Amino acid sequence: MIVPLAHVLILAAILFGLGLVCTLVWRSNVIMLLIGIEIMLNAAMLVFVGGSNHWGMADGQVFALIIMAMTSAEVSLALALVVYLHRRKNTVDVDEFRELQD
Amino acid sequence: MYGGYCPDMETYLFYILATVTVIGTILAITEKHPVHAIVYLVTSFFSLASIFFLLSAPLIAMFEVIIYAGAVMVLFMFVIMMLDLGRADEAKRPPLRQWFLPVILGGIILVSIGVLAAGYVTTPHAPGAITVRDFAVTLFRKYGVAVEIISMQLLFAVVGALYLGRRRP
Amino acid sequence: MKAYLELIILLPLLGAIINALLGGRLLSRRASEWLACAVIWGSFAATLAAAIVYRAPATVEIVSWLSDFDFKASLTLYLDPLSLSLCLMITFVCGLIHLYAVGYMKDDPSSVRFFALLNLFVAAMLMLVLAENLPLLYLGWEGVGFCSYALIGFWHTKPANATAGRKAFIVTRIGDTGLGIAVVWMFELFGTESIPHLNQMGHLLPAGIVTALGLLMLLAAMGKSAQVPLMVWLPDAMAGPTPVSAQIHAATMVTAGVYLLMRMFPLIGVSPTVTAAIAITGALTAFYGATCALVQRDLKRILAYSTISQIGYMMLGVGAGAITAATFHLLVHAFFKALLFLGAGCVITALHHEQDIFRMGGLRRTLPGIFWPFLAGALCLAGVPLTGGFFSKDGILGAVWLKGGALYGGLYVVGLVTAFITAVYTARMVLVVFCGDGIHPLPPGGGGLGRGGLKQLPRIMEWPLIPLAILGLCGGLLNLPEYMGNGLLHLFLLSLGSHEQTLPHSTEILLQGVAAAVAAAGILTAWFRYGGKRRQESLAKEQKPAGGIAAFLLEGWRVDALYDLLLVRPYTRLSTFLWQQLDEGCIDDSLDRMASLFGRCGQWLGGRGQGRVSLSLLGMAAGAALMVFWMVWGMP
Repeated sequence: MIVPLAHVLILAAILFGLGLVCTLVWRSNVIMLLIGIEIMLNAAMLVFVGGSNHWGMADGQVFALIIMAMTSAEVSLALALVVYLHRRKNTVDVDEFRELQD
Repeated sequence: MYGGYCPDMETYLFYILATVTVIGTILAITEKHPVHAIVYLVTSFFSLASIFFLLSAPLIAMFEVIIYAGAVMVLFMFVIMMLDLGRADEAKRPPLRQWFLPVILGGIILVSIGVLAAGYVTTPHAPGAITVRDFAVTLFRKYGVAVEIISMQLLFAVVGALYLGRRRP
Repeated sequence: MKAYLELIILLPLLGAIINALLGGRLLSRRASEWLACAVIWGSFAATLAAAIVYRAPATVEIVSWLSDFDFKASLTLYLDPLSLSLCLMITFVCGLIHLYAVGYMKDDPSSVRFFALLNLFVAAMLMLVLAENLPLLYLGWEGVGFCSYALIGFWHTKPANATAGRKAFIVTRIGDTGLGIAVVWMFELFGTESIPHLNQMGHLLPAGIVTALGLLMLLAAMGKSAQVPLMVWLPDAMAGPTPVSAQIHAATMVTAGVYLLMRMFPLIGVSPTVTAAIAITGALTAFYGATCALVQRDLKRILAYSTISQIGYMMLGVGAGAITAATFHLLVHAFFKALLFLGAGCVITALHHEQDIFRMGGLRRTLPGIFWPFLAGALCLAGVPLTGGFFSKDGILGAVWLKGGALYGGLYVVGLVTAFITAVYTARMVLVVFCGDGIHPLPPGGGGLGRGGLKQLPRIMEWPLIPLAILGLCGGLLNLPEYMGNGLLHLFLLSLGSHEQTLPHSTEILLQGVAAAVAAAGILTAWFRYGGKRRQESLAKEQKPAGGIAAFLLEGWRVDALYDLLLVRPYTRLSTFLWQQLDEGCIDDSLDRMASLFGRCGQWLGGRGQGRVSLSLLGMAAGAALMVFWMVWGMP
């Protein structure tokens, strides 16, 4: 073990916080919002890999891989949605898409 | 390394890489130009992949480079270019007042988790190296169903993306 | 041998595939017609070659198909005298029908589809006949069913035709279910699906199980061979083009049921209950078909009912254990029924698609090239002595007589009565259509026949009739009664191992005399009504709408109406109930209500919220921050 688990967790927390801030701030650009989500997911992966290393079990790595697969699915769908919405409204501002309200 | 035992080398490397990751991410989320943001993010992901490598997860590190820094980010880049969002004159950062609340919330979460993590001290348990073989056995034996489900999900995502992306009359 | 057997099936299949894929695009119309005919004749040639080199029953495994633990059903063909004689007949008759179809379909725009399906039909039938195991036989069985569905409804733009196709498919499906159950059950019992193996195992089982298996197969044969009570689809199957009718009635499809029973006879014949049931079904059907044919006005419907009746005879023969006689009748019937159908098709085409026999007449002089072959076919059907039909029908009746007993004695009487009715309706058909002075008995509504407005027929439609007529008339030579020398077919089929007794010669001659007398009486009866001077008044009488028993017979004993009342209407009502009350009323409605409830809740919430994604995200983050904060500092 090269560093205490706590340090890995703190790094993950920092990344998660940054991702959250990115998601919350960039309401004017849905792509940056999605990037924020990616950062948060990476933070989660870091936790899994750190835990896997800490306890010497491969399960954490498996879940990191599954997160990755899930992310690729999510990104492909989300970006298709972005393209679709951009085609309809010609904008990527998150708050423009509010038809669901009525 | 260098034939001798140098325990601190990898530890230092970890902190350096962690710093690079954090700085890269901060630059990415504050960059007003989406294309630049992606490039910063790729840097950040590369160093994160190195951290994975240090944490004895070479396979995940490889996937991180290939899938995240490679495929996913390229996909983002592709969409940005397709929708023509990368023009420098139109890019603008959100105004400063929008940053207060998110930073405060993020700070709360960060500090809370940090305190939790700092107080969380356990001894490492059986630090045997995790080989690729272990990883594969765990993946396909123990979590075979999860693999099936995730592959199904990927298929649905492909179908859904095709459906959303087709040109409508 | 292997190559021949493979070619027999593969050639028609190849023709169907090539026509289906390339026909109309790469192949010219003429080329696809030629291809369709050539593959059938090629198959016939392969069958001939196989017959020449045939020495003993052969089993040829082409390729492994279904194989799983104990279950094995490879693509294996089995050639024995029964399947060989049927294959010869099928390829030959279908070859002639294909030639005829070239002429018949020459104005039809979708003839490529027609020929592809027709080839597939033959391929499926050959598969059925040559199959060594039951799953393969079932494949052919269903293939035949599918092709008949597609061909009966060939002119599918007219709803009546499409309905007829569907009816054929659904009614035969009832029987198919029986066969499906029997196939699975037999594997469960014996652990094998090979027909020759199964046939040796009949004695190993309790009688009850064999009876049940036999009855299931009888159900299958009832559906396919249009036996009472599943015969309702065959008269409606006339909706298809005439070559299809000829093929369904003569060579493929309806003979499949009889073939199944003959094939499995060593197994199911062990149970006397089954043979009795088969015989009763056959006799009943023969009688039913003949009585219905007696009053029909539509030329093709007469022939359809006569097919039902003749197939009934074959079933009667199988029930009496006379496989040879049944096969013999099957072959001869194929020849003369194909001949009659093709001739009827010529007549109908020549008269611009007029099918009502009372609007015909006097065609003896105007269509001599059709009259003489048609007459030959009719003589066979009526069982006039020395024609093929006479000997084959007599063989069956003789076998029934030989069985003796109250049941089979009664069935013999039914058979004789049916033979009489058969002679009557056959003579009526010929007399009404071809004799008379040719003056239209009706005020001219349709095409006036006396004015010579006949459509010119292509030669290719006329000459297939001639070999069929010769075969029908001389078919008796295939299997002469014993006092005239030994029957070829009888010797050939002896190797099947059926122990058929033969009648004493004197009894046989006596029985044949009775049959001949019955046929003559029937023809004379018809002559008194429709021939000579009485023709005009009889015809005038027939113009009135039929009443009483005639109407009853005209509608096929009103079985359709009965089924409609008993099965279709309750089913429709149940379906309507399930659809409107249960599905729409209960399930859909509750789901609708649930959805509208959620929708209203959402609307209510939406009215309160801002509908902005960023706000929702912010709220979520705030909630998460609160929770984490509480977890760290708030918890005791």
